Amino acid sequence: MFKNNTVLISIALLILMFMFAVGGCDTEKVEHAETVVLRLEGGDWGFPQPYTRYSRGPGNAKVNYIFDKLIEKDENGFIPWLAQDWEILDGGKKYVFQLVENAQWHDGEPFTAEDVVFTFEYIKKYPPVDAVDIFMDDSFLLEVKALSDYQVEFTFAGVDPNLFENLSSVYILPEHIWSKVDKPDEFISEEAVIGTGPFMLTDYNKEHGTYRYEAFRDFWGPEPAVDVLEFVPVSDPVLALEKGDIHCAGIPVDVLSRFENDPKYTIVQRPGFWGYRLRFNMEKLPVFKIKELRQAFAYAIDRQDLVEKTARGAAVAGSLGVLPPDHRWFNPDLPKYEQDLEKAKALLKQAGLEGEKLRFELLVGEDTEVRIGELIREYLSDIGIEIQVVSTDMKSRDSRIAEGNYQLVLVGHGGWARDPSYLGERFTGGDRGDWSSGTPGYYNARVEELAKQLKTEIDEEVRKEITMELQQVLAEDVPEICLYLTTGHDVYRNDIHDGWRHVFDHHMMEHNILSFVKR
Amino acid sequence: MGVSIASIKQSIFRVLEYALAFLVIISLNFALPRMMPGDPFLHLSGEVDEVLTFYSQKQVQYFREYYGLDRPIHEQFLTYLKELAVGDLGFSYYYKEKVSTIILDRLPWTVFLVVSAMALSLILGIALGSYSAWRRNQWQDQVLYTVLIVFSEIPAFLVGLALLIGLAAGLGWFPLAGAATPFAGYSSVWEKIVDILHHAALPILTLTLARTGGIYLLVRNSLGTVLTKDYMVTARAKGLKEFRIRYLHALRNALMPLFTRVAIQLGALLGGAILAENVFSYPGLGLLMRSAVVVRDYPLIQGIFLVLAVGVMAANMLADLAYKYIDPRTRPAAGLKPGAALPLPAGGEKGDA
Repeated sequence: MFKNNTVLISIALLILMFMFAVGGCDTEKVEHAETVVLRLEGGDWGFPQPYTRYSRGPGNAKVNYIFDKLIEKDENGFIPWLAQDWEILDGGKKYVFQLVENAQWHDGEPFTAEDVVFTFEYIKKYPPVDAVDIFMDDSFLLEVKALSDYQVEFTFAGVDPNLFENLSSVYILPEHIWSKVDKPDEFISEEAVIGTGPFMLTDYNKEHGTYRYEAFRDFWGPEPAVDVLEFVPVSDPVLALEKGDIHCAGIPVDVLSRFENDPKYTIVQRPGFWGYRLRFNMEKLPVFKIKELRQAFAYAIDRQDLVEKTARGAAVAGSLGVLPPDHRWFNPDLPKYEQDLEKAKALLKQAGLEGEKLRFELLVGEDTEVRIGELIREYLSDIGIEIQVVSTDMKSRDSRIAEGNYQLVLVGHGGWARDPSYLGERFTGGDRGDWSSGTPGYYNARVEELAKQLKTEIDEEVRKEITMELQQVLAEDVPEICLYLTTGHDVYRNDIHDGWRHVFDHHMMEHNILSFVKR
Repeated sequence: MGVSIASIKQSIFRVLEYALAFLVIISLNFALPRMMPGDPFLHLSGEVDEVLTFYSQKQVQYFREYYGLDRPIHEQFLTYLKELAVGDLGFSYYYKEKVSTIILDRLPWTVFLVVSAMALSLILGIALGSYSAWRRNQWQDQVLYTVLIVFSEIPAFLVGLALLIGLAAGLGWFPLAGAATPFAGYSSVWEKIVDILHHAALPILTLTLARTGGIYLLVRNSLGTVLTKDYMVTARAKGLKEFRIRYLHALRNALMPLFTRVAIQLGALLGGAILAENVFSYPGLGLLMRSAVVVRDYPLIQGIFLVLAVGVMAANMLADLAYKYIDPRTRPAAGLKPGAALPLPAGGEKGDA
């Protein structure tokens, strides 16, 4: 009788033991001492060519290791890359770029001006994932012409002060391969990842989310500082970094202390270029056109408190001049709008809104955003404004923004370090502004004027001056409130690789090709 | 002859039922993703620290035309049906690959997890459940009961995290993530199998721990009821061997509700697999489904749900068939010959609820 039960139990135990036994036979991997193998967090971000990488996440960086652009970025600004030098003619409507002469494609073919001409024709016909409007527009980009093997001339109908930014997102494709491709988003053969960049793709696995790159020894530019670059799946970055599965990771501020006293780890704070903004719907609710009401919001909301409570200190409070404090053209001399409830109430009184029943709906996304929304509700209730927080998923919120279907909305995204011309996109156009990028219902003559100047001025110093003033005007007018920008920390193994760098407008060192080449 | 006509009739009815369910499913499949608010190409916001590509309205327009989303909805539905009829599940907007290829790459991993976990928890649950039932209210029963209830009440992802921190990070017995060692050049098939089992061990263990409790309880209770039935007394009185009584009479009758439950629970188990896959970064359908919904990749959402629906329907059909085999009462009445294989409970009593 008992025997039968014992058999059953034994089977169960045996199965469990088998699982543990399988677990026990871990084989230690031995690595070569000479070659530098750098492992980073993987995940599937698409086949790394400009048409098949995914539009979210680090897919772009995966392409960036393989393909070069005419212009790159470093800590301070734009730097020559495939274009070594240039001449600006006709007041900025014509550019002649001098290309590197010793560059070659990973298959050994030489790189020439014809490849550049081809690329700009090709992207006009087939927009890549990261398409740039002005290069798709025949009426703006009039001609791209090879003057010699290493000289290429661009002719524009107007001036584009963002030209370098735009050029730095166009990957140059080899004509001898891509001229035969008419379905670029289905092109995933080995030939599709032949670039001129410092790394060659040697392995990609979609379902496992792994990438493996090897240094391209004939790279025209600075020598790669890493021999092999591997992206592997990670369940928890903290555990993976401690175990040595990966060598650099973003680490939450609560567990940072685990890495602080070990000399083989270096901790770097990220610049705050990912931010939350609170937007007013001035078109649907004209009451938001009252400047004092918006200023009262700014004085009521304790942005530093939001940083402490919802980002646990790993963020920097936003500036009312919109450009983030880590932006290279940030204006530090703006009104600070530290929390001041009395001043907020006084502003409401000044606007004749005292005693009015002010009740608004605040649309937020999920998780952290709900907490931010709840805190905003508390701050504003102190000055007699009632807020109802409504939470939806990210995509639904985005749709409602695009339709203008909100009163107040909280939205978070990156890209705050870009050229300040985005201020023009956000705050000009008055009633014509489109809902997804603009602020319909908002109009300020000075903002319109300064934004217009930014659109045509190409002298960097002058642009900086204009940007300083523009921030001043915005900080006074408060067309929206930047709550905070997340910073966070990266921790890396300095004994494996120590060349990590940020570029001036991006918070991820991993996405920067200069992090992987020698200086 | 009467036998076959009745059963053919019943089979036709069944097939029609399933065909109808299938039609409803593919229509819902097409409609639901499109009814969700959100647009596949409108990117305004991202997760914290996420890098995303903004599309201008012009680019959004281009992509909508390229993927045919600008056409009237009934035209899109007809295209979907036409393509589906020839086995074409469409092209993913986000993954830029054929939906069927993406799913086929991921499906085996999930099936592997789910089937292994289901098999293990069935074996464990049945073994422990019947042990408990036979030892009802003795100390062995009480210990097992407490332990298994505790395990089944802890959410699967917590069990997963505990295993990850304890066994993988702490003791280093298992890898932290993934389904296979990246870039491993295996020297033999055996090595590959061991590597895959090694990676799958913790996700399977997580799912098994989460599922065993339920099965254990069901078996324990239903066997407990069966053991008090008259036909058990009859069997004993007939002088049948204890083994035969336990496994052929008692357990077989007690397992019937289990089959229904397993078939119905397949959906829930897939849900559990999504959590486990997320905890262990395991490359299955669960991870894929999550991201497909987040980015509103209509063809991929349709494809995944279709596969899941077909899977669950197939499981139900199998349960139907298995039932016929285990419980002769569900066969058409005319098919039941006197003295059929199973000893039936006396007085038309129902097996168990």
